[in-house]
Amino acid sequence: MLRLVANRLLGTPSRDVLTRPLQVLPRSYHENVIDHYNNPRNVGSFDKNDPNVGTGLVGAPACGDVMKLQIKIDEESGKIVDACFKTFGCGSAIASSSVATEWVKGKSMDEVLTIKNTEIAKHLSLPPVKLHCSMLAEDAIKAAVKDAEAKRAKVNGSLKASSIEKVADM
Amino acid sequence: MYKTKQLWNPLSTVFRRLLPTTCRFDPFSANSQFPPLSSHPQSSSRVPPRHSLDFFPDSKFSLLSFCSQSAAKLDSTTKRCWNCVTDAPGSTPFLYCDSCRSIQPLDLSIDYFQIFGLEKKYEIVVNGLEGRYKDWQKKLHPDLVHSKSEKEREYAAEQSARVIDAYRTLSNPLSRAIYILRLEGVDVDEEQTVSDPELLTEIMEIREAVEEAPDSQALNQIQSRMTEKLEETSNSFANAFRRRNFDEAVACIQKMTYYQRASEEILKKL
Repeated sequence: MLRLVANRLLGTPSRDVLTRPLQVLPRSYHENVIDHYNNPRNVGSFDKNDPNVGTGLVGAPACGDVMKLQIKIDEESGKIVDACFKTFGCGSAIASSSVATEWVKGKSMDEVLTIKNTEIAKHLSLPPVKLHCSMLAEDAIKAAVKDAEAKRAKVNGSLKASSIEKVADM
Repeated sequence: MYKTKQLWNPLSTVFRRLLPTTCRFDPFSANSQFPPLSSHPQSSSRVPPRHSLDFFPDSKFSLLSFCSQSAAKLDSTTKRCWNCVTDAPGSTPFLYCDSCRSIQPLDLSIDYFQIFGLEKKYEIVVNGLEGRYKDWQKKLHPDLVHSKSEKEREYAAEQSARVIDAYRTLSNPLSRAIYILRLEGVDVDEEQTVSDPELLTEIMEIREAVEEAPDSQALNQIQSRMTEKLEETSNSFANAFRRRNFDEAVACIQKMTYYQRASEEILKKL
């Protein structure tokens, strides 16, 4: 009886709404995401001008997110010894970049280029609508590595040039 | 009356054979087969020629099914009101039929600019929107059709929702920009990452400033900067769009999205 009255009051266009089951499945963040959000690791900044620091700055225009990921390279081994990030965006974006900083530590630059966004997404159980956040993290890693390599190339280039000069002087 | 009925049957078959049978006029279907109306539908009132009537000068049968077929054949841009059968010129019902006061089914080929009677340009007078919006709701709102048929109540819900959508989209410069680009077939790709260092560094600095802002005065300062930037980029977009430089237009939209986001974050903090 009450249903009939409700039907009349609400009118027919909302038929779909009425037949949807009352048990609303809550869409929640995965605990990994919440963990990274509440206990963010490696938030911060390195000195951009440090020759051993590579900075990756990427953005997702559709949602207006910005992500900055920085890696510190050990001069001799060429491995990443430290990483930090700063992200302005949704929880998934923050978690993705946080995971990225954790995963790159201790690896070589070539190795981290193989990190795929799908792995990050799987680790955080990201829903399809948030997959682009993990893609952003992957792009940030690549951008940081590219920047670090460019800096190293410059340093090597200038070292070579100066050593050639020394030889020439001798 | 009886005589004409007897006359009607054989003659109708003759007539039907003359017309191609593929012509099916269903006034309730989504009008995908009709080309989109030009910018001012009220002015494009073309009534289908009435030579079909010459066959039956004395007839008093219903014009509806008969003339609707000829209408589809002869002039596919004129739509008929599903409720009344007005013949009068200018009776092409636009969202709403003035003759019988009934709401028309949703026609997705009518774009938002047409709903508000505006030219399809980015620069519009935003103040004029509210008046027209309220006028439409006075005719289309579901609250006004409680006593009418279920079908019309559905039309009212759909039309009213679409007008609200149109109003919201056109009032906000960013959504208007995205919409007008989409009408041209250009979609701003969601997935694409942007790595313009200048823009991103600027945005980073702005967002950091918002985070570290000590009081609402500082926030308001940043907010006014954002409004300025939004207007600037909005003008650049208008420029680029006018010159049909869609790549530049998309770049402007990306910038605007960032400034808008920053502005929203400031509002959250205030």
